[in-house]
Amino acid sequence: MKIKVLLRGFLVKYFNGEKERVIEVEDGLSARQVVERLGISIEHKSFGFVAVNGMRVMIDDQLKDGDELKVYPRLSGG
Amino acid sequence: MAVKRLKFKKENCIGCQLCMQACSGMHEGAYTPSKARLTIESYYDKGGDLKFEKHICTLCGICEKECPFEAITVDEKVSVDFDKCTGCGICAEKCPQDVISIREGKAIICDTCNGDPYCVKLCPHGALQYV
Amino acid sequence: MLGYQNKMLRIDLSNKTYSTEPLNMDWAEKYIGGKGLAIKYLYEELKPGTDPFSEHNKLLLMTGPFTGTPVPCSGKLAIASKSPATGTILDCSIGGHSALKIKYAGYDAVMFEGKLDKPGYILIEDDKIEFKEASDLWGKGSHETETILSAEYGKEASILSIGPAGENLVTMSCINSDYYRQAGRGGIGAVMGSKNVKAIVIIGTGGVKVNDIENTTKRLSEILREDTTSEENMFIYEDGTTAFLEACNDGGILPKRNFSDTTDENWTKYNGEVLLQYRKGKRGCGSCGLGCGNFIKIGDAVCEGPEYESIAVAGPNAGIEDPQAIVKANQVADDVGLDTISAGDVIIYAMEMTEKGIYDFGIRFGDKEKYIEYLKLMAKKEGIGADLALGVKKLSEKYGGEDFAMHVKGLEYPQYEPRGSWGMSLAYAVSDRGACHMRAYAPNDEVFEASIPPYTAEGKGKMVVDLAVYNAVKFSLILCDFWPLGMDRMAELMTLITGKEFTEDDMNEVAMRVIHIARAFNQREGFTRKDDTMPKRLVNEALKSGPAAGQKIPQEAFEKMLDDYYAVLGWNNDGIVPDEILTSL
Repeated sequence: MKIKVLLRGFLVKYFNGEKERVIEVEDGLSARQVVERLGISIEHKSFGFVAVNGMRVMIDDQLKDGDELKVYPRLSGG
Repeated sequence: MAVKRLKFKKENCIGCQLCMQACSGMHEGAYTPSKARLTIESYYDKGGDLKFEKHICTLCGICEKECPFEAITVDEKVSVDFDKCTGCGICAEKCPQDVISIREGKAIICDTCNGDPYCVKLCPHGALQYV
Repeated sequence: MLGYQNKMLRIDLSNKTYSTEPLNMDWAEKYIGGKGLAIKYLYEELKPGTDPFSEHNKLLLMTGPFTGTPVPCSGKLAIASKSPATGTILDCSIGGHSALKIKYAGYDAVMFEGKLDKPGYILIEDDKIEFKEASDLWGKGSHETETILSAEYGKEASILSIGPAGENLVTMSCINSDYYRQAGRGGIGAVMGSKNVKAIVIIGTGGVKVNDIENTTKRLSEILREDTTSEENMFIYEDGTTAFLEACNDGGILPKRNFSDTTDENWTKYNGEVLLQYRKGKRGCGSCGLGCGNFIKIGDAVCEGPEYESIAVAGPNAGIEDPQAIVKANQVADDVGLDTISAGDVIIYAMEMTEKGIYDFGIRFGDKEKYIEYLKLMAKKEGIGADLALGVKKLSEKYGGEDFAMHVKGLEYPQYEPRGSWGMSLAYAVSDRGACHMRAYAPNDEVFEASIPPYTAEGKGKMVVDLAVYNAVKFSLILCDFWPLGMDRMAELMTLITGKEFTEDDMNEVAMRVIHIARAFNQREGFTRKDDTMPKRLVNEALKSGPAAGQKIPQEAFEKMLDDYYAVLGWNNDGIVPDEILTSL
């Protein structure tokens, strides 16, 4: 399936400074699996959350072809 | 080898004055910005414009030229010979950056922390550099 | 302990005299400074039942041991009093440079007592304290006041001032500094106004001594590089709080039209990308290691800001999408001296009342010109402003619409929709000063986080306690919100600066004391579980859009979160702090 990945904050370093890329992965992967494929650590305290098609989802939710996955770092403060 | 000097980039300055705290902390035994050997300020002019004022030693050498007692030497840094300095204040008057103070009868001038300036170390975004 | 000046300045406004006394160091060991120490002083010195506008109320400016040192992000000042908006304890946190100037003038804290017989301002210049006339400043906006006083006293003077809102005792008025920084909430500006104090000018030429200053300075430069300015924290320098807009929109917690829904499809018209195009510069507070301030100019709208709260309340929550109008609303609120959050919430409540035909306040969603006009009228209590200045609680009691009067205890709701982050409804309900997002910042753990489910009450009591603990000690040190340092780092800094050993356990104990004593103050004023509330809108109306579409919070779920919160803290089921804890405070 084709997934458009958008990165926010310092995470753009994983795309060499670009904010978005379309990637090709196996069908049925979860957001967690796609994020891990990019080399981003979900366990690190700097990891925030993911949104699919503009809405926050849980990290283990499944993606489908054509989804837009946005990956956020942790935003501290208020 | 080119002599290093302090340089200020106002686009990177956030007006924190950590530089002035670091300077006074290393030289005066307490964090006392009023006694720092540099002054950097950011302020809102009537609330409508963000402005900066900087006073840093640029090693221009004018203090050395003007000192009537040859108490000042300027090479990679400024050195004041306290045996010769009388606290006359001419260096402070002539300094184009206005960074010289006379305290307890002696000229107090930036010494670049002997080549490893602390103002630069405490500047969060590289507004102050030593290059 | 080093870092402290060991001195409190006490100013008697009624008699125009002043004195200094040692800071209570027993209390400082237990509460450190900032929020905690300020609340301790007021708990001991204010009698229960004190009228916040009487000469018996006190206004306390409180720094901490780090203030004036190169501990990054230590430039905040706690300003505390009894709140005229809620009747609870009130502590605010203001940025800028005034905290450092107070410390350099030689004081840890300044306590204002009594009231001036006519408008004046106070000059604190090291050990010289003067009571000055301010009849020509009274009535002027905060910005003009600051310009005038700055011209007289120079750039190195820090100026705290109120606008007409504070002068007119509007319970949503703020105290300003550096033109665009505020002690915002709970009517703190009205306390200053009730004392006839237009401004406080502070000049400080002294210094702060710490333990082993040269090695401490070296260590602080390392901490600045390795921790404070690490890449994860830099978003606040790069984007400021505009970074929260997209995250909250995607997270389902950006409120729309007086909290009637979330998710604004038009958010790209006023988001960070748009606003930051107009950024003319960056600024931070004294000792800041990050620099969140964005100086923005769009046409004649000028502001350091707007921050997330101010964008959301004057933007989607008001049905407005024009970035210039949003910036202008912030500028005007700052100048007349109104809290953008509370004043905005009143206006958007008035919009909904008008649209629903319950009461015609003469303003509908989207009316950006009237929004600005109403801010000015509220500050002067003129025309419709006289009613609006009452705040949403009293206004809804007078005219109806109580179900969507979004407040707790009379303090209006910050811009995070709890139906998208259930723990936030608890955080707002139990906050010590009314609905506040800065006591326990729930979105951090429930929305900006990968795997905690937001739409359940399970585990939220403990979650909110943990968040409240973190902020309670952080704001007692006092450090800025935007450096997410660990409690171990806090302990390291305390040990470094004071020369006395502090551990992470000590930090936790301080936090618990602060939470208990704030509750104890309110309990003494008669507050109990019945006052820890949630607006009916959240119970009765489901959200229609965004990831939280369909969500509303059942009252039983809310009650369970309250039960759990009280139980974790060792309070009884009515939210009362037991005697054995009270006597230890």
